[in-house]
Amino acid sequence: MARNGTSLPSGLQRGREFLRRGSAFVWLSAAALALSLLMITGLVGFIAVKGLGFFWPRALVQATTPEGPLLGEISAREAALGEEPAKVQFRVANRDLYGQDFRWIKVAELGAQQRPADAVLVERLENGAFIGFVASVSENGRVLASGDAAFEEALGRLPEAQSLQGDIRTIEKDEVGTLNRRLEDLRLRRRGLAPADATALARLEAEEKALRVRYEALQTRLDGLRAKSAELQIILRTVDGQTKEIPLSAVVRLVAPNRTGILGKAGIYAARLWEFVSGDPRESNTEGGIFPAIFGTVLMVLIMSLMVVPLGVVTALFLREYARDGWLVRSVRVAVNNLAGVPSIVFGVFGLGFFVYTMGGAIDQAFFADRLPTPTYGTGGILWASLTLALLTVPVVVVATEEALSSVPRSLREASLALGATKWQTIWKVVLPGAAPGILTGLILAMARGAGEVAPLMLTGVVKLAPAMPLDGQFPYFHFDRKFMHLGFHIYDVGFQSPNSEAAKPMVYMTALLLLLVVVALNLFALRLRRRLRERLGGSTF
Amino acid sequence: MSAASPKDAVLRRAKRVDRLMAVIISVGGLAIIAAVLGMLFFIGKEAFPLFRGARGSAKQGLQAPAQAALLLDESGKAAVAVSAAEGLRLIRLTDGSALKSVAGSPALPWSWVSRPTAAGELLVLDGAGRLHEGRLKWSKPAGEANPAAWDLEPVWQPALQPAQAPQRILAFRLMEGGGLEGSGVLRVAALTQEGPAWLESVPGTTAAVAWKPLTNLAGQTVQAALWSSDGQQLFIGTATGRLLALDVATGALTAEAAFPEPITALAFALGGNSILAGGERGALQAFQLLRTGDAPQLQRLHVFQPLAGPVRGFMPSLRDKRFLVWSDRDLAVDHLTTEARLFRASAEGLTSASLSTRGDLVTASSASGETRAWTLQATHPEVTFTSLVGKVHYEGYDKPEFVWQSSGGTDDFEPKFSLVPLVFGTLKGTLYAMLFALPLAVLGALYTSQFATPRLRNAIKPTVEIMAALPSVVLGFLAGLVMAPLFEKLAVSVLVFPAAALVLALLAFPVWMRLPDRFKSLWGTGREVLWAVPLLVAAGLLSLTAAPAFERAFLGGDYRHWLLSAQGITYDQRNSLVVGFAMGFAVIPIIFTLSEDALSSVPKSLTSASLACGASPWQTAWRVVLPTASPGIFSAVMVGLGRAIGETMIVLMATGNTPVLDWSPFNGMRTLAANIAVEIPEAPHHGSLYRVLFLAAFLLFLLTFLLNTLAELVRQRLRKKYESF
Repeated sequence: MARNGTSLPSGLQRGREFLRRGSAFVWLSAAALALSLLMITGLVGFIAVKGLGFFWPRALVQATTPEGPLLGEISAREAALGEEPAKVQFRVANRDLYGQDFRWIKVAELGAQQRPADAVLVERLENGAFIGFVASVSENGRVLASGDAAFEEALGRLPEAQSLQGDIRTIEKDEVGTLNRRLEDLRLRRRGLAPADATALARLEAEEKALRVRYEALQTRLDGLRAKSAELQIILRTVDGQTKEIPLSAVVRLVAPNRTGILGKAGIYAARLWEFVSGDPRESNTEGGIFPAIFGTVLMVLIMSLMVVPLGVVTALFLREYARDGWLVRSVRVAVNNLAGVPSIVFGVFGLGFFVYTMGGAIDQAFFADRLPTPTYGTGGILWASLTLALLTVPVVVVATEEALSSVPRSLREASLALGATKWQTIWKVVLPGAAPGILTGLILAMARGAGEVAPLMLTGVVKLAPAMPLDGQFPYFHFDRKFMHLGFHIYDVGFQSPNSEAAKPMVYMTALLLLLVVVALNLFALRLRRRLRERLGGSTF
Repeated sequence: MSAASPKDAVLRRAKRVDRLMAVIISVGGLAIIAAVLGMLFFIGKEAFPLFRGARGSAKQGLQAPAQAALLLDESGKAAVAVSAAEGLRLIRLTDGSALKSVAGSPALPWSWVSRPTAAGELLVLDGAGRLHEGRLKWSKPAGEANPAAWDLEPVWQPALQPAQAPQRILAFRLMEGGGLEGSGVLRVAALTQEGPAWLESVPGTTAAVAWKPLTNLAGQTVQAALWSSDGQQLFIGTATGRLLALDVATGALTAEAAFPEPITALAFALGGNSILAGGERGALQAFQLLRTGDAPQLQRLHVFQPLAGPVRGFMPSLRDKRFLVWSDRDLAVDHLTTEARLFRASAEGLTSASLSTRGDLVTASSASGETRAWTLQATHPEVTFTSLVGKVHYEGYDKPEFVWQSSGGTDDFEPKFSLVPLVFGTLKGTLYAMLFALPLAVLGALYTSQFATPRLRNAIKPTVEIMAALPSVVLGFLAGLVMAPLFEKLAVSVLVFPAAALVLALLAFPVWMRLPDRFKSLWGTGREVLWAVPLLVAAGLLSLTAAPAFERAFLGGDYRHWLLSAQGITYDQRNSLVVGFAMGFAVIPIIFTLSEDALSSVPKSLTSASLACGASPWQTAWRVVLPTASPGIFSAVMVGLGRAIGETMIVLMATGNTPVLDWSPFNGMRTLAANIAVEIPEAPHHGSLYRVLFLAAFLLFLLTFLLNTLAELVRQRLRKKYESF
């Protein structure tokens, strides 16, 4: 500010004045807040874009490179940075032929690009997607259609082939599975039989024989179906001239993005989304759906809720309604607070040591001794995981319920007591109904917390791929001892343990988005509920 | 209508229910304390056996023939008694009675037989002066518990005829597969008439083999010797108290070490890496041949408590690193890694002793013909307090170090359970997270509570609360798979970013000051945060574009190369910066919410007074509000700290999980919590690793317990303080 010709002392004064007013610091703190907000919105937005974009059919681009022609989706671009030239990542798929799904090409080496109308993306049951052209469709070696007509022919015959495939899967999964379980049951019963009991043994053997006959029959039926499904073949050709012949029944979806309109693409998008939400995982969880994980998460959270609500509400009632203020209440509060602050992995360790090994081991000794040394409850399962999470989320319910209880007006209580109701009657008929929305808020927050936790589950029963659901049509329907799949663990497993993590990344984004949606939606719901409650009753946090 | 009407019954019932519910609810309320204490107690209980010392107790009534060395069977029911007079005999330990006889041994009488090693190898010098190497193998029918049905099937190597009878055999080693047709090459070191010498068998010939003298001994008297596992080196203990390593093929002395007294016995601990040496006056040390640098060197690894009397022999366990050592009147079981003495007993006139392969049974035979036995209970000998927190000299390391390495590829692996690297990793991760999160969260809370307009505030608080609910597995996934590679590419931009933001702010500030006051008060005050967003975005873009130039100008074009060459730091992709950043996401909302609560509950009267005295809003916020709320902010920081310490998934996914001791922000760490998640699925129930992990969980529990209790106490005091306003 030499232009103003101010002397040094006054410059110093101005500096002091500037510091005094401190608006620069206000701006600094505003910037800190802005950075935090930017980070969170950026993060959620990033996941949403990455996840949601994954199902949209992208154009297949054919380009020439020094190593020959190349056809694929452009999956990433990298601008030149320092010495590194600009590059483009192509998803070329055809893992079985090329060995890898992705290729990085320098922009400078990319020749002419075009979008051939007949380029197709074939989603397959095995080996990931195929990107290339449909050469022909044949039945028992007889060519049904080739060239341009082949795609239409394949598309037309796809539902038939897929229903065959569906039949095969049903038999393999349900009927053979049922038979296997019954055979195992027989084996166990036989083990538990007294050695001298010849008649019972004979009966069991007859039963087993009958089961084996049924098993054989199923097997023949399966063989027939498999042979039939192998009759229809689709011959695919890559852009560099290799051909690949696969049964049409191994095709999940045929997509020709370059000649599909926006409506068609939306249809494909919806179909893929539906498959993701409702289908079983394939290819070690990197493709297909995540239905078992969704189901496992929901079921676990529900079982957890059943246990966490009574415990949390009782504790809150004790603190607010029954206990007199004193060291006891203070120590209960400290305990609740500590429970909220203990790292989740410690709960996992406790769950493993106490629920799984100690309680589970005792249950196995008492009720499932005939299956030992194979543990039934003495290993991780959905019951133990839910119990562990219930312990972990109890403070959330306690705090919310306390707040709700304290916001029930004193006048209501006194009115009830004045009418001659006992304390419990007052609580049951007046206080609890008034506090119900608050308890619900606590429950929802607990559910959100429970749905997002992974570390304790890793020790108490979550698996990457569960062979059977914890709830199914088999007696006794609920299988509390079974291991289960979980969205959060799915993210960890597919993102970090999968051999082909690059190809699996979109799946992880989508799973993360789903988990995020669930958790954020639950939280938003709870927040709204709480705000309504506060507005209505004018309670306060403290 | 009687007096005891249904109304009375209803009332009575209501009262009964009331009392019942009071009891139930009180019990339920106390259950939460029980749960917390129960958890603490249970986890502690699972970890406690680590520190229970070993217990040895005398076992009565074991019988074995005198003057024989024993090789115990795994179950401790039977043993092979080896003596020169009677050869190999199977005996039942409970009464000393003979079991099945052993067939196929060299013809009796033998002129000398070695004590069987723990693995069951022995060397026999028969009456004709030939050497037989044998390996004792039990053959037990499956599920057979009665030793009477057990057989011993020794595998004998072809006889070796030395050209000259040895005076005293020092050591032998069968090199497996060294010969043709499955037979090994036997190497023997002995004292002959010409002095110390060695020979080796030639497979397929029965001709006499000449002794080759051992050279380079400088005239020292050889008292004990030991072949290395591969048979290439011969370790020699001399009467002058030196431990020598000789390469027998070349005759060269490869390494030597000093021992305080004449060496009388040498043996290997499990794994064949650590050489146990015992001296004439009972000194006991372990050495290792370290092959680092150009020349191998014999290095002292451990010093154990001495025995009484000259050390006569060793027997390692085949399960862990414990070993039995005995002198003429003393015997002890020590653990190699921890140097802990698990067991000690005195037995006058001891001739030989034996340790079962599991290391849970010790027998000692004395010259008087008496056999004594002890059972030894030492379930976790590899863990002591010192080994958990102190430096330990492990096999293969050139100095004592803090190491965490719980399992290795082989059965003879030496487990390394030092909690120090894990605690260090936990503190390091927490530190970087707090460095990042603390200023952002506290400043953000200060702004939200003091300067932001109410509408803005009502929008910001729920957003941050949602941020608190983000599952850590999602943050971890983003940190590990997205941020880590991005950071690696843009590390310089990230570091330049604060500078860029400052420069832009300095440029923007004069412009802002010149804006009309009306505009400023309408759009500025309380809404600064809205203007800060574009500023920060611009700063981000600026730092992205400026980074390459900065890197070229100051860091020689490639920062990783610069780090390595100028600073000696390697850059790991999954490093502390990434963890700190990602964990910041988890910690910021906690500190923010709690601090904001504390700041906004500062009584309005205080701020009004300050403003009325002419203080600017910032002065009020900084000098009045912040100090008043500082206990609340402190408690917020404690809770945030607790969260950062225990965070598992983010650390698990965003670091390489290498347990290193290094403060560098460019490499990773392994925290206590992540370590539990990584290791406990493979830890056998009630094994040492399992218990050490429970100990780690106990530490985490205690640490967060302290932090949270502290925070809660501060909060309660704060609440009381404000009540008076």
